[in-house]
Amino acid sequence: MSPASRAAPAARSVPRPDEAAAAAAVGSPMLSVVGLSARQGSFTLRNVSFDVQHGAYGILIGPAGAGKTTLLEAIAGVIPVREGAVVIGGRVMTHVAPDRRGLSLVYQHAYLFPHLTVRRNIEYGAATPEAAREMSDRFGLEPLAGRDVRTLSGGERQLVALARGLTRRPGLLLLDEPFAALDQRTRNAARRVLRVIHQEQGFTVLHVSHDFSEVGLLGDVAVLLDRGRVLQAGPPDVMFREPASAYVADFLGAENVFAGRAAPIRALGPDWSAARGDAVEEHAVAFTTGAITLYALGDAVPGPAHAVIRAEEVALSLEPGSSSVRNQFRGTVMEFAPAGAITRVTVDVQGTPVVAAVTSRSVQELGLEVGRPVVVAFKAMAVHIC
Amino acid sequence: MESNHGTQAIAAVVTGLATSVFLLFIAAPVAGLVGAGGLAGLRDLGSDAELRQSLILTALCATGATALGVLGGTPLAYLLARRRFAGKAMVAAIVDLPLVIPHPVAGIALLLVLGRQSPAGQALATLGLRIVGAPGGIICAMLFVSAPLFVGAAREAFARVDARYESVARTLGDSAWRAARRVTLPLASRGLVAASIVMWARAISEFGAIVILTYNPKVASVLAYDRFLSFGLNEAIPAAAVLVLLALVPLIALRALHTSAE
Repeated sequence: MSPASRAAPAARSVPRPDEAAAAAAVGSPMLSVVGLSARQGSFTLRNVSFDVQHGAYGILIGPAGAGKTTLLEAIAGVIPVREGAVVIGGRVMTHVAPDRRGLSLVYQHAYLFPHLTVRRNIEYGAATPEAAREMSDRFGLEPLAGRDVRTLSGGERQLVALARGLTRRPGLLLLDEPFAALDQRTRNAARRVLRVIHQEQGFTVLHVSHDFSEVGLLGDVAVLLDRGRVLQAGPPDVMFREPASAYVADFLGAENVFAGRAAPIRALGPDWSAARGDAVEEHAVAFTTGAITLYALGDAVPGPAHAVIRAEEVALSLEPGSSSVRNQFRGTVMEFAPAGAITRVTVDVQGTPVVAAVTSRSVQELGLEVGRPVVVAFKAMAVHIC
Repeated sequence: MESNHGTQAIAAVVTGLATSVFLLFIAAPVAGLVGAGGLAGLRDLGSDAELRQSLILTALCATGATALGVLGGTPLAYLLARRRFAGKAMVAAIVDLPLVIPHPVAGIALLLVLGRQSPAGQALATLGLRIVGAPGGIICAMLFVSAPLFVGAAREAFARVDARYESVARTLGDSAWRAARRVTLPLASRGLVAASIVMWARAISEFGAIVILTYNPKVASVLAYDRFLSFGLNEAIPAAAVLVLLALVPLIALRALHTSAE
């Protein structure tokens, strides 16, 4: 996938989202959504802006009811845009008919045409029957070709819809939770096929999901939508490490989100240099939550804030280490949540629950049990203040 | 608790009674008529050429009116179901207008517009199309009073087809018209057939507007009325009963359509 891909954050700086501005902004993105507002029933999208670069795989995430499907429909042109612009492949498409936008839209519920067979569905938008047959082969659908689509399982329907959307060789593929109805095995297989075809054909994808694991697996660019607005857009790893708000962190599955107060520390002692590693930040932050104070790197506005620490960044030991780890606290084990090879251990640190994700093997090796005293440790770099 | 049960029992009895009386009120006259004249009417079909011809005329004109209604009403129903446009409420109200005006009034209005003295009537006459006093008048009257039923039911049928099927077809390269024809029309087809059966049923039972535009040749309803006025109740019964039997045909067809859907 294209390393050049990136997303412009929800541009607060788009003053008047009109088409002229959009046309001027046309550069290398395959898809630019500029200050878009649209309404579907009682639901409204407000001033949504983001880019997906040519050939990139964009993931649009957000909770149920965030407006993800409405946004896809506005981009596809099947619902009207009230304000703003949709630019596809450098052309302003805001008022262009859906069939002239060079894209495909695959809905979560497939919307296979019930009066047509599987084969006829896949052929529907195909340039040639051969193209349809090839796509149907790649998704392993040839054995189903003659079937009435009403007799298919949910997963089969989804694969047929995906194949149908791809036979048209779209420049932009809009996917609405395409794997939601698939079991884990089929889902992995479908993801693999889609990834291969994506790499071969080089089209651009905008994929709606409510599952953040798909962002990490597939996405070059992530856009987080909630209640009709973009909360954050950017490369998934950045969004993962540096969520724009406590809400984003929580949505992205960060286990440790603490409310408290941040206080910048201007003068760093020499002992900070070890903790900084190769980080270039000049400042550190002391963050107080409940009875504990922890340290983070970087800038923060003094005052109320949130600290986010991913559970994978938290280490457990029986005795304090002598390492460069800034944040070390004694606590007692409160709870275990084993999930296969990984166990999430909640530790009570002076009234603040801190979650650590450790291997189930190390839980055994440390002899952890509820009520046992332990030391939790995490680097200052692992603490994100937002 | 006790009184609650009592209230429920009374409510059940009252509901059951009201329903029975209501059903009886509808079924009794129809059953009585068919019982009294059904067999005679069917027997008369062999001997009574006027009755036979009037039934054929009724069925043919209703079929013609339905065909015109389907041709003109389907695009209109589609637009009303799918699109937003200025004046949509006005268009919908105009379509429903024939449902609320008395049918003889509808006949008078049609006579005014299509009569021999009117410009439209004269234009049609030069084309060789006679409306007043001809089958053309019957078709016009039937179309006027029954088309709203088709448009209403067809609109419902289109609205029941999820618009997202069409959205998918649009993004697969179909123009709006092509998507409507390839996807929505086939998916609504059962509802459209039902709508045209309802229209046909309404058309064969029309009397008030027809009698103003075209008394002769007589459709079945006009014949029954004419015989009642000229010869009395007993003479009118067979013609009336046969018309009831004809009206059962679309009713049974609708039932069959529903059953096959399930």
